[in-house]
Amino acid sequence: MKFRRSDTPAASPLIRKKQEEYQPPKTGLILLQCLIILFFSVFTLRFYYLQILHGAEFSIQSQNNSWRNEYVSAPRGRILDLHGRILADNITSFGLSIVPDDVQDLNATLAQVSLWTAIPIGKIEERYKQERAKAKSFEPLLLISDISFDLVARIESELCYWPGLEIIVQGKRYYPEKDMFAHILGYVSVANEKELAKDSELILGDNIGKSGLELTMDKRLRGKKGVRNIEVDSSGHMVSSVTRTNPQIGSDLTMSIDRDLQEACWQALGGKVGSIVVMEPETGKIRAMVTEPAYDNNLFSGGILQKDWDELRNSPKFPLQNRAIQSTYPPGSVWKLIMAGCFMENGISPQETVFCPGYAKLGKQIFRCWKHSGHGSQNLEQALFNSCDVYFYLMAERVGISKISAYTAACGLGQPTGIDLPNERSGLAPSREWKQRRHKKSWTRGDTYNTSIGQGYTLTTPLQIAVQVAAILNGGKVLKPLLLEDDTPEVRHHVPASRQTLNQIIVAMRKTASGGTARVVGRKDADMGGKTGTAQVVKLDKNRAMNTLQAWKQKDHAWIATWGHKEDKTYVVVVMVEHGGGGSSVAGPVAASVYNFLFSDPRYYRAGAPSVPIYGPPLPPSMVRERQVQQLRLP
Amino acid sequence: MEKTKQALLRHLNWILLGCALALFTVGEINLVSASGARLDAGFAQAGFYERQLIWGLIGLCCMTLTICFDYHKLLRFSWYLYGITLFLLILVPLIGTTVYGAKRWISVGAFSIQPSEVAKFALLLATAKFLSTRTETLGWKDFGLILLVAAPPLGLILKQPDLGSGLMLLFIVGGMVLFHGLKASILKVSALALPCIGAFMWFVGMHDYQRQRILTFLSPEADPLGSGYHILQSRIAIGSGQLWGKGFASGTQSQLRFLPERHSDFALAVFGEEWGYVGCVVLICLFVVFMMSILTTIIQSRDRFGTMLCVGVFFYFFAEISINMGMVVGLMPVVGIPLPFISYGGSATIVNFTLIGLVLGISMRRKKLHL
Repeated sequence: MKFRRSDTPAASPLIRKKQEEYQPPKTGLILLQCLIILFFSVFTLRFYYLQILHGAEFSIQSQNNSWRNEYVSAPRGRILDLHGRILADNITSFGLSIVPDDVQDLNATLAQVSLWTAIPIGKIEERYKQERAKAKSFEPLLLISDISFDLVARIESELCYWPGLEIIVQGKRYYPEKDMFAHILGYVSVANEKELAKDSELILGDNIGKSGLELTMDKRLRGKKGVRNIEVDSSGHMVSSVTRTNPQIGSDLTMSIDRDLQEACWQALGGKVGSIVVMEPETGKIRAMVTEPAYDNNLFSGGILQKDWDELRNSPKFPLQNRAIQSTYPPGSVWKLIMAGCFMENGISPQETVFCPGYAKLGKQIFRCWKHSGHGSQNLEQALFNSCDVYFYLMAERVGISKISAYTAACGLGQPTGIDLPNERSGLAPSREWKQRRHKKSWTRGDTYNTSIGQGYTLTTPLQIAVQVAAILNGGKVLKPLLLEDDTPEVRHHVPASRQTLNQIIVAMRKTASGGTARVVGRKDADMGGKTGTAQVVKLDKNRAMNTLQAWKQKDHAWIATWGHKEDKTYVVVVMVEHGGGGSSVAGPVAASVYNFLFSDPRYYRAGAPSVPIYGPPLPPSMVRERQVQQLRLP
Repeated sequence: MEKTKQALLRHLNWILLGCALALFTVGEINLVSASGARLDAGFAQAGFYERQLIWGLIGLCCMTLTICFDYHKLLRFSWYLYGITLFLLILVPLIGTTVYGAKRWISVGAFSIQPSEVAKFALLLATAKFLSTRTETLGWKDFGLILLVAAPPLGLILKQPDLGSGLMLLFIVGGMVLFHGLKASILKVSALALPCIGAFMWFVGMHDYQRQRILTFLSPEADPLGSGYHILQSRIAIGSGQLWGKGFASGTQSQLRFLPERHSDFALAVFGEEWGYVGCVVLICLFVVFMMSILTTIIQSRDRFGTMLCVGVFFYFFAEISINMGMVVGLMPVVGIPLPFISYGGSATIVNFTLIGLVLGISMRRKKLHL
């Protein structure tokens, strides 16, 4: 041992004695003991603080870490026609998505996708770049949507050679009738921030109705989301789940509209700009409502492309507009049906005559009758039959604008009809007060003249006219037009006219349809009535050069308001052709072909006739069985 | 000879051995849970607890060897070891491998050595040897000498940077010096100097990430998903254990992998979540008994060098336990120091058992001279 220092231990016996006397320093030992006591007390207290005093809070935090609420979306209710044919459906569509991280050779993969789908590679690459910018590399990007079933089967079999590609299933709203029902049904798309803020039931990414019945009936169609609790690990993967509430499927809606009648009307209008309303006068149920031009509302399901949207919005003929309720026109001579009731209720005898020289003078102004040679002596019935303007000018002046505006207001004109569709226009039934308020000018007698023949300030929607004709037929009940078959009729106004007065108008309409301006709708097998209208529009200088669109805008609006009764059923049919020209020459034949359809098929004029056989659009094979089960409970 | 052996075994600090084995068992059971993970497909089990068992067995062998080895012979090696350590520490910045932005390891073939680990033991030994030659309380000269011995390895380690090991060195050397006793004037001056050194370190000596850790420790809520994540999740895990815990292998924080480093530095959080306050107090008591039994050997020792070695070991464990537990319960910033016997770690297990062997050897030989 080579210890140099004398006090190193265990060396010589001499030192041993010293060694035995060695005691560890007292202060050092106390220090160590203190440290141990300190250790014990600090940590028992700290654990007490964390686990006992604040344990409950941390327990909640740990649950929040691993448990999440997840909503289970409820399928949206379908919309069916009167006979259960599907007008709005939920379909599953297949898409092809790509996870960039898993792809081995991007160019080859995209080329293969192009090969499968026959979409040019450039378009696919562009789409990929666009989506790639929005998402992270491990998230799937939707490359192609709406892949046909056959193609899915083909791709599926080869998918194993192309890592990163996935077939995904998406839920989507589908409208098999496309343009024909686009305005009535509207469309759904993803709720925006404003809608999310307004409705606490909605969560980000939910679809909601944006227009049409999809919007007004959104709450009924939507159903109730289910809730399940899922347990996730730190990377967000689900480990387990507990269902709290099951989703409630939205209720199906059965519309009052008959799909076949709608199609007949659609064909009758034949692409003209305008609209047709077919209504049952007793109940107010709408049996058909067509508007042209239209659009394919399927474009909106799953997000409309900007290009399509711009095209729709900038189209000069406004295809997004539902002309039956969202466009107002001067009603022209159709308005005389209402004026006739007003005159009779304000002390003018139907037998009283007015001489029509072809014009009426008002100071220096001359108001012409449409027939410049004049009608001669006219009573009310004759005036309606011939649509004599002078009769209405003079009688209106006698009754006075105050009484006229009181009457039209009581009829509910100048107000929305209350149909369950969004953005209905109210039209305008002018009055002295209205002009003062709106134009800061006092009412003139000329205004009264214009109002009496449905020109000037007067504006109505085709649906308003249909409702007024129905009111004439049903004894004065101004009904809310109904779109759903189960809705109960709702009387919103009463026409302030006696049964007798209304009957006089009915008789006049019948005569007009059998030999007057509306004779084009006349039929031998049915009781028909009608009144045409040719509403003038503000004209530009005739000498100015015009393009076709401007020239079209110069033409008059063609109206016809009709009713028809055969056996058990009565219908009101109103046709309006925008800038169509003459009421009897343009609108009349359209109405006539609608009646041809209605009164040549017993199902439309006999009560209790067997209903139309049930059929629907072609379905994806996977849904056929499910649908068969559901169809059994349809009426 | 046979009698001697019996006497030796009789003097062995059985309580310390029992405590160490009990702690290792608790750690092993906890590792079974901490290496498990619940997935949607079921359970997945990593092999940490199996490997830890093997490391434990190797550790026990090392411990037995150390018990048989007469610790007095260490006196001869202490300065050589110190020299080698210093050499290795100088090598680290030159040929070391960079892990997580810090150079701490030297690769030798398939093995890697962490010189800072060796430095703890070398400095412990050197300080023990130095202090065992001083009978009186330390004066300014001796204090300066110790600082001179401790400063080079400490500086090199802090440079790596390895704040945890640096802290450990301070604890060990400082603890031993305090135990030995200092002149009151040194204590007073140190008390004044420490804040100054602290401030100096903060502004000059620390790396940005180290400063960030301390800031994060002071307010972990400022960045709950970033730098504060460890601290917050650890606190949530422990706190949510409440009185009785969530039960073995049922902790959601650990099984669903919200808790980072759950088998190594944060193993205690897994234990706290699953065994609750009751389990934690039992574990604290085990650690207290463990340290008390080292203290027993210190008290019984009649040999200056042995005593100082034991004190060094005591502070080694005390520092590791306190720093790790303090970090897990949110009383200290996060530094990478494992909890002895509870955290997974091969070399740490071997070192721990070897140090226990050292203390056991000292306890066994304390009366040797009287035989």
